[in-house]
Amino acid sequence: MNYYLQHFLYPSSLFVSKEPYLVKTILGSCVAVCMWDSKLKIGGINHFMLPNWNGNDLASPKYGNIAIEKLIDKMLFLGSKHEDLQAKLFGGGEMMDSGAGRIMIGERNIRVARLMLEERKIPVMASSTGGKRGRKIIFFTDTGEVRHKLLDKTTR
Amino acid sequence: MNNLTDRQLLKELKERLEYGKKNDKEIRELTVELQNVSKKLKDSEALKSHFISNISNEIVNPFTSILGLSKVILSVEKHDWKKVVSMVALIHSEAFNLDFQLKNIFVAAKIEAGEIAPNVAKVNIRTLLQNVMDSFNIISRKMGITFDVQFNIEHGFGKNFYFKTDSEKLKLILSNLINNALKYSYKDSKVILSVWLDDEDVLKLSVQDFGTGISEKNQQTIFQRFKRLDTGINSINRGHGLGLSITKALLDVISGQIEISSVKGEGSTFTISVPESKNIVDGFSGEGNDIFFDEEDEIF
Repeated sequence: MNYYLQHFLYPSSLFVSKEPYLVKTILGSCVAVCMWDSKLKIGGINHFMLPNWNGNDLASPKYGNIAIEKLIDKMLFLGSKHEDLQAKLFGGGEMMDSGAGRIMIGERNIRVARLMLEERKIPVMASSTGGKRGRKIIFFTDTGEVRHKLLDKTTR
Repeated sequence: MNNLTDRQLLKELKERLEYGKKNDKEIRELTVELQNVSKKLKDSEALKSHFISNISNEIVNPFTSILGLSKVILSVEKHDWKKVVSMVALIHSEAFNLDFQLKNIFVAAKIEAGEIAPNVAKVNIRTLLQNVMDSFNIISRKMGITFDVQFNIEHGFGKNFYFKTDSEKLKLILSNLINNALKYSYKDSKVILSVWLDDEDVLKLSVQDFGTGISEKNQQTIFQRFKRLDTGINSINRGHGLGLSITKALLDVISGQIEISSVKGEGSTFTISVPESKNIVDGFSGEGNDIFFDEEDEIF
């Protein structure tokens, strides 16, 4: 357990590795898709903040549709086959008490992720999404295991 | 369900009709949204191809000048050495420009690849500002533009003021703002750089020029990638239109913001706000070895 290389995943970035890595990240309304190749035992993860790219900013993985596309691309680049890919889905809590507001960033982030994964026929093996609390996750790129903990609101 | 009264039937029908209407409306809204998105993508694609033709000019032209000038220098007679000085100055400004553009392009590529992360350290803001200004020294002198620095931070160690942030990113942000200010200034004017802390100890940096200014309508679009306001073929200004979108994306990384106030014909002021980085994300330590394994961890 102590021999893992570590990576802290910042928002709007993504991480894919052939080496066994332990990737941790903190999610609020952001969503992280952990992708794992069951044959090659390699994995990657993204962390996006908004559902869809608006076409104006840089096309960065801050946006779900781009982050997921790029994550899959990178996995395929490392030699994964499309049919070996599995996904796990985390985050998308509603952090801001906007009441019945129309923002619902978390909700929309999750929807984009689910739609895109379904479209590409990548099975979602596990997920923990929604709610009102943040999450801390640790993803092991070699086993595909994810350790997950809900955070207390007060610590935010 | 068999024994519905007329009234119940009517009610049921009404509800279904309403439901259908609602769905219909939703579909119409989605269609409009889809059309917007597809139009935006088309625009973006056009901008991108424009960008590529633009960028090759940006890279090829400076190289041609540098190559040509250095060739001339090589064949200069000894007694003509004075000529060399001005040519070296030209080479420097071309190379500087090239270096600046390339840095921007590489950073943009990194941002788009999701490989950018804050790299926080204690930064001496005054020195950083001075360094950035110095790098534009030759260009500003050539244009007769003076920098007026208003450093309004009192506390700190003597004259030095340290602020926790990402120095490389802040440097590039400032460089882009100053580069723009110079680009859109008239000859023999000045650029005012102010630094101060607001009530919440957020670092504020503003770059003010007295140049062409930006109309209110255009203020909405300047942060879009590849967008340049005067993209006509006769445009005297160079650049690829990435500067401000990179600035904005970099500010995202260090949780900063940017504001613009400008009057067409009178100049523009760009103000950035950068909160002091706590080296943490969302209230948790970003770096360090505090791998937080808990008993409470659920395993997926």
